[in-house]
Amino acid sequence: MYFIQHIESITHQDSFQKENIWNELKPLAGENELISPDYKNYIPVAALRRLSTILRMGITAAKACQEKVPAEFDAISVGTALGCLTDTEKFLVTINTVSGDVLSPTAFIQSTHNTIAGQISLDLKNHAYNMTHTQNALSFEVALKDGLLCIDEGKHSVLVGAADEAIPFLERLRGSLIETTYPFTSGATFMVLSGEKGNSIASIRACNVSFSDKHTETQVEQFLEANHCSLQDVDLILEAGFDFKSKAKNHISFPEYTGFYQSASAFAVHMANDWLINHVNDSRILIVNNLELNKLGLTLISRNEVEA
Amino acid sequence: MRIYVTGYGVISSVGENSEENLLALRSEKTGIKQGKKTYTERFKVGEIHWSNDELVQRFNLTQHASRTAILGMIAAKEAFNGHLLDPEIKTGLISGTSVGGMDVSEIAYKDFLSGESDDLNVYKNHPSGTTSEQIAKELGIDGYVNTISTACSSAANSIMLGARMLLSGQLDRAVVGGTDGLSQFTIAGFRSLMIFDEEWCRPFDETRKGINLGEGAGFLVLETEETIKKTGKKPLAILAGWGNASDAYHQTASSPEGYGATLAMKSALSVAGLKPDDIDYINAHGTATPNNDLSESHGIKTVFGSSIPPFSSTKSYTGHTLAASGGIEAVFAILALNKGLLLPNLNFKQAIEETGLVPVKSYSEGNDIKHILSNSFGFGGNNSTIILSKV
Repeated sequence: MYFIQHIESITHQDSFQKENIWNELKPLAGENELISPDYKNYIPVAALRRLSTILRMGITAAKACQEKVPAEFDAISVGTALGCLTDTEKFLVTINTVSGDVLSPTAFIQSTHNTIAGQISLDLKNHAYNMTHTQNALSFEVALKDGLLCIDEGKHSVLVGAADEAIPFLERLRGSLIETTYPFTSGATFMVLSGEKGNSIASIRACNVSFSDKHTETQVEQFLEANHCSLQDVDLILEAGFDFKSKAKNHISFPEYTGFYQSASAFAVHMANDWLINHVNDSRILIVNNLELNKLGLTLISRNEVEA
Repeated sequence: MRIYVTGYGVISSVGENSEENLLALRSEKTGIKQGKKTYTERFKVGEIHWSNDELVQRFNLTQHASRTAILGMIAAKEAFNGHLLDPEIKTGLISGTSVGGMDVSEIAYKDFLSGESDDLNVYKNHPSGTTSEQIAKELGIDGYVNTISTACSSAANSIMLGARMLLSGQLDRAVVGGTDGLSQFTIAGFRSLMIFDEEWCRPFDETRKGINLGEGAGFLVLETEETIKKTGKKPLAILAGWGNASDAYHQTASSPEGYGATLAMKSALSVAGLKPDDIDYINAHGTATPNNDLSESHGIKTVFGSSIPPFSSTKSYTGHTLAASGGIEAVFAILALNKGLLLPNLNFKQAIEETGLVPVKSYSEGNDIKHILSNSFGFGGNNSTIILSKV
């Protein structure tokens, strides 16, 4: 069992440093924007100025997690689907418009996917295992699986997170690179996982990813069976789409709350954790990440007392 | 449980398969030349001289994709050649890349900026994760497909994650490595950092000025002992150790004393159950920047004390191939293990004054080499080390 010690999200919901995010959550409607905390509380003003949204969100959520747990992280695993888009685009504009030999390197340095995890380690002076994963809509799940593996290997306090940021250019790719009707949004969710229960309410039981031309309901059934339960035992399904709406006791399509960013399933873990705080009779929550047709991510979360 | 290497493949500016790469290493022939593309012509680069379309034709690839994906397909296909897909053998693919499909998306984006119509379908090749999905598809692998993006240590980290996935039983076999195609974005990026050497790069030399960029891909096939019983594959090397640590010193620079490097090397030795004395050759990260080589030298001195094994940087052959470097250099390490090679650090003349370390200066065969340590360090403080051992 992988106990969720603490979890923080910065999203288009009022979700940062909340006792329970469900007190504030509502489906996104009409115009909405990222609800940014006061980043100055976590990042020195001088540094803040040159940091893009994804870096601000990632560093702040990670530091807010570190404040809440006694031990230093002994592994950091971060997922991002499209990475640091603001700086990537900024540097692309620079190289196409600035002539001469002197280019500012800041945007280039901050354009690589590993800037998020790298900055976190730098700010926390953390020398532990540090990894950055990117696998389109499964970016969070592959980072999570690495984090779970770290705990299996004996690590005690593992930071797992995911972040993605929207830039206006994405709107042009609607229908080509990205198929969605949801608004493009930004978000970061970071969590501290441990093999020890601590004060946690819920734990991640398992996470599975699959890349394939076709996915079937059988895969979901087999995943649950391998974890000693079935769809009937699942109290809530948090799904990227609507395939399981008719089969679930409770069903939420999480992009209605997160908008579209490919690592939003990390926020679904936050939704699941806090749901179990509110719904004392519920035991198991399944996150079905079928945001992209050729991928399936499955994450099972349950109340700590539940056997399987 | 042991992790075996049962296949390897490489493409770089010195050759389009392992055999050609070995020939170039043996003849001490660098692949670094004056660039041929509009954005590389001012620099010395380790460029592969075929265009994307030519590569697709030449290697009978089924997909047109970005250069990063194409190079990855070529090296991964060589590594996986002769291996069979089998539903009983859970096979995954982990690839490292720094910029993914940037070489094609930057062209479309340039059209967009200049007000011309950009081909929106081109951007489908952009995400780094997509390059791995395309490589996996070329090999027929599905299930677990993942991409590591830790800058210049990406491939080493992919290899390491593959080993851990095998040890945990989540996979029986993994195709692991890294790939990066040259792009204007990368060339301009490193130019902005002002760490190019206009001459041939000189790793570990007192007069070193910086890097020559390169492109390529390197992949390994990893199998457990149990899997080998089923596949009947001959083990070509043992992946004995791995370590990953964060330098946590600076966004781009390495700590002067090589703290992260030291941690990564020590942790790899500990996983392998080896002492520093057991290492017979180090394939260094050795980018030839003043900062990296000094920091890495200090790290090596800290770990190995007064008895430093022969070491060299083969980036003087291939250029710095970024996310691919750990994969390409892992293949070089396996070639070195199996033929007892010590690979020369081309262009070296004068030891760094502060450390006095002298790398391998000429090629030799038939040396007694049982364990090789290979370093890969990336921006963001991502330091990784793998150890490959003779079967």
